[in-house]
Amino acid sequence: MTDGLKRRDFLKVVGATGAGAGVWGCSTENVERLLPYVVPPEDITPGVATWYTTVCGECEAGCGMWVRTREGRVVKVEGNPEHPVSRGSLCSRGHSSLQALYNPDRFTGPMLRQGGELQPISWEDAEQMVADRLGSAGEYYLFGGIAGPSLAALMSTFAGATGGQVVRYHPLAEAPLREASRIVFGRDVVPWYDLEEARVLVSFGADFLESWLSPVRDGRGFARMSGVDDAGSKGHFTFVGSRLSLTGQNADEWLPIQPGSEALVALAMANVVADGGASAGPYRNIVAAYTPENVASATGVEADSIRELAERFAEGPSLALGPGIGGLHRGATAANVAVAILNAVAGNVGRTLHYDSPQLDAPSEGFAPMERAIEAMRGGQVGAVLVHASNPVYALPASSGFREAFASVPFKVSFASAMDETAAEADLILPDRHFLESWGDASSRPGQWTVRQPAMRPVPHFDSKQTGDVLLSVATRMGQDLGSETFFDHLRGRWADLATSAGVADADAFWHESLRTGVVQVGTTPSGASETLRQPDRGLVFDPPAFDGPGDLHLMVYPSARYGDGALNANRPWLQELPDPVSKITWHSWVEMHPNRAEALGLRNGDVVELSTEHGSVEVPVWTYPGIREDVIAVPMGGGHTSAGRFADGNGVNALDLLPSEAESLSGGLVQFVTKVVVTPTGRRRHLASIAGSDVQSNRPITPAVALAGLGAEAAGAEDEDHGPLKELQGVGGFVPVETGGRPEDFPLEGARHGEYGDEEEPRWAMTIDLDKCTGCSACVTACQAENNVPWVGEGQVTMGRDMMWIRLERYYEAVDASHAGPLDVRFLPMICQHCGNAPCEPVCPVFATYHTPDGINTQIYNRCVGTRYCANNCPYKVRVFNWYTFTDEEPVREGLGHIPEPLNWQLNPDVTVRENGVMEKCSFCIHRIRARQDRAAVEGSTIADGEIIPACQQSCPAEAIVFGNIRDSGSRVAQSSRHERAYRVLDELVNTQPAVTYLKKVTFHEVDSGEH
Amino acid sequence: MTKRWIGASVVALTLLALPAFVQAQDSGAAETITDGEAARVQPIAFPHTIHAGVDQIDCQYCHFSAERSVDAGIPPVGTCFGCHQIIGGTDERQQAEIQKVRDYWANQEPIPWVRIYKVADHVHFPHMRHIAAQIDCATCHGNVEEMTVIEEVNQPLAMGWCVSCHVERGASRDCAVCHY
Repeated sequence: MTDGLKRRDFLKVVGATGAGAGVWGCSTENVERLLPYVVPPEDITPGVATWYTTVCGECEAGCGMWVRTREGRVVKVEGNPEHPVSRGSLCSRGHSSLQALYNPDRFTGPMLRQGGELQPISWEDAEQMVADRLGSAGEYYLFGGIAGPSLAALMSTFAGATGGQVVRYHPLAEAPLREASRIVFGRDVVPWYDLEEARVLVSFGADFLESWLSPVRDGRGFARMSGVDDAGSKGHFTFVGSRLSLTGQNADEWLPIQPGSEALVALAMANVVADGGASAGPYRNIVAAYTPENVASATGVEADSIRELAERFAEGPSLALGPGIGGLHRGATAANVAVAILNAVAGNVGRTLHYDSPQLDAPSEGFAPMERAIEAMRGGQVGAVLVHASNPVYALPASSGFREAFASVPFKVSFASAMDETAAEADLILPDRHFLESWGDASSRPGQWTVRQPAMRPVPHFDSKQTGDVLLSVATRMGQDLGSETFFDHLRGRWADLATSAGVADADAFWHESLRTGVVQVGTTPSGASETLRQPDRGLVFDPPAFDGPGDLHLMVYPSARYGDGALNANRPWLQELPDPVSKITWHSWVEMHPNRAEALGLRNGDVVELSTEHGSVEVPVWTYPGIREDVIAVPMGGGHTSAGRFADGNGVNALDLLPSEAESLSGGLVQFVTKVVVTPTGRRRHLASIAGSDVQSNRPITPAVALAGLGAEAAGAEDEDHGPLKELQGVGGFVPVETGGRPEDFPLEGARHGEYGDEEEPRWAMTIDLDKCTGCSACVTACQAENNVPWVGEGQVTMGRDMMWIRLERYYEAVDASHAGPLDVRFLPMICQHCGNAPCEPVCPVFATYHTPDGINTQIYNRCVGTRYCANNCPYKVRVFNWYTFTDEEPVREGLGHIPEPLNWQLNPDVTVRENGVMEKCSFCIHRIRARQDRAAVEGSTIADGEIIPACQQSCPAEAIVFGNIRDSGSRVAQSSRHERAYRVLDELVNTQPAVTYLKKVTFHEVDSGEH
Repeated sequence: MTKRWIGASVVALTLLALPAFVQAQDSGAAETITDGEAARVQPIAFPHTIHAGVDQIDCQYCHFSAERSVDAGIPPVGTCFGCHQIIGGTDERQQAEIQKVRDYWANQEPIPWVRIYKVADHVHFPHMRHIAAQIDCATCHGNVEEMTVIEEVNQPLAMGWCVSCHVERGASRDCAVCHY
């Protein structure tokens, strides 16, 4: 600084003003009360987390969860490592379920609509009203969603006893997949996929990493398949589809096929695999007819490409998945049949996918039953409707007429816990509990059961009741005895039966063990037997189906990687502000368009266009994307809410408005890739709320890759300076201690000098991230946000570049070409604070708010930070984020800014400081977890083993890409992996930052520029 | 540029702080019990002199989680009542105060103790580590067995005071030991 004013003097003045303000602020408002328990709960120690097992209720995959509670409130959810589906991981949606639990827009209690307004009503009156109205309704419907087997069984019993019909509708339902399984193998199921066992994977547009069936299970399986192993072997993944989803971006090769031609590619592959069809049994003639040459023009893929793919597929073990959203057209069942045949002829059935031990609970009822229900409601035959865990007004195309038909029903009951578009039309609201407050169960595979237990008492702001209990009470009032007094009794009864079937004598012990571990396996594992191909009993047409409408632009409305269909989970700021893994756009909707097409239409990023079909129109900004065919445009689901709550309403468009409501003729599934679209520029523009910097690396070695063939070329001893072991920490930051009485003035500036670090007894924390495994799914981003009280800032701030995520998932295009089949190369890189040993941020901080701890963490001391932002300016990785406002108050500082209204603030992690405006922050390596483990070690006298400290990102990563530990311990996993030949440190050779984060290069099948300079 | 900016900031901050000092002096001169002081009166006149002094009850009998948690723990009303269903007090004043405990228990209500010790939100103070390091409770909290009314000693719980002890005992002086 200057001679006139020394840093310490400056601080003293600032400190003195702070003290004055402190005395001034001394008033009754500052008196804090300590409220003890009257009787202490057995399982709560103040300051110590208590964990419960349960099962996620966000989608049908049924991931086992561990729920972290502090002083009786849930603060974080994580995957249950012992659960075979989640295996310790969780997706962003799972993490964000906390924001549904504490959703400030939940109903405060049961409500009755009177004179157009919702008025509170007592549970007794409400239940009596339901009983009376159902009793006189004649025909009634119960629309259901995700329920779990015990609640689903209760619903069926209830409906059966009271004269109702249960319809479970889900826009992403796999009805065609199920029908195809029935046609080909005689099994009416959704098979269980085992990606881990495959070496060659082909996805026909199935987005298994984001929205298809079981993304966490498949994320792990995929990473284990495709990540290069120690022997230098790596599974190969080909994506066949018109648009690259996140899943597609992870492929090694892309076949950008003509819309609707999945079946042809699959059959042509089967033709090659089955040697002209000879081994295709009853499908011999069909397979023989579709040679690669015959389908080349209809699919847009050269015969040689198909042949090459099929030959690789035949080598196996292989697995074909899908079709996904691109296959939900008028030939959806036939396309699924073609893929099933391909799997059968390649010998995959019983090896990489299982029909005898299928996936249960998968959404597989089609649109057809709902179509009949709409017809009945419209006809006035329906006296009442109950809606549970679904939002059909939003999730059905407007053209279905559901809204109008529903409105005509005289008595409509919603079990929604928070307002949604369907509840907005309902007469009576009976708010259900969140799954973290509920009893229940899930079974994602035969014999594999997971119990759901409440992890906390119901959030006291909301007077809620489990729907199972409501149904039992209503049944009793209607004079029906369903066999249980409460839903808990019903559940225990079913689990007692389960114990009996498992041959366990002590049902109570079985139950308690289930609660403890969170999962039980009853009965056998899959046999591994193959299935017999059956003669098809339906007429199958494999040729590409017709698309409605004029022009040549096919409209794909796809499930969002963040929300899925978004019907019930959009009112969550974490999901709204999570950058879409593909587009990196937050908050609003967009339409994906190939750059050539955009240029032809004279459009740029951010130009608002009107999309119109004969069913409706929406206005949405353009985002140009090379990963989509020129004749396809795509819009994600999940936007355009009108009654879903303060964080969701008004963001984006509901693209389902553009679709017809039509059931596929064979399966009854809703067809979604079926119409063409007209694009009309509006002349208006808008900022895309995107966090993307550049899509290309501009020759900087940010995410270099290495070709598989080139692996092993560098001998282990050939480490050069930049890629070798980390240097010892540089002599920056820190003080040498001086003898002192402890008063601030006893730390004279003259006596201090920069000291050396590098105490060998201290650990040095470091991380490696394997980019060959990272799928870009962004689960880590939300996990980090939940763990570290990272605020959301709002769309306006994001457009100004003020997003505050501690992890930025960078995405770079290397080889993306939608014009023909060929190698695909998209690189992902989770960018976090690199915890540099020679950190550029440290010397520029005037107040030593950022410096190096002796254990190697580049730390940020919030109470020292005065917000100069010099550190962020000097960070070559742009990982430091600044609190431009206080985003953690209950009220927003300004309209549209981030804030945490009660009771959303119940989620805040008490172990991490909540930051205010004017403070810089960034990844801390989850230092509170390190300190907590060190505290425990000091108390117990134990040592900390490698792998015991796991940051939130690593904990959540389905791909197992992240390893954290002490790099000074040469035997630790992180030390070993940082010595890997693929190891590199981002920009280190340019700026000599000596990062503690080491990345392992992605491995490609094609030749690449290794990024060496 | 930098120099001028910082100089200007110091002046601005000092000016802002002036009313604060004035205000502070005013309130210090008041002799009557202010609203603020009244609010600081404990709901029950709990004498540590008797519990910790005369009866020599171990601190952790009531502050039950100090050796296994970051929080020392405030005794549940049940813990108070456990003894005081038998012990009713010897004089009238004691009996009146103990009756309050019994009333809280009878109503199943928590006793709204006034918080005396609080480190700032950006400080993490794990009690169990200090207990494990054989630090006597009195080191920070003073001789509570001599305090009829509990009051903060070592006031303020300022960082320099913490650091001096860390320096003396060879504990870490790193910022990120407490601040994160």
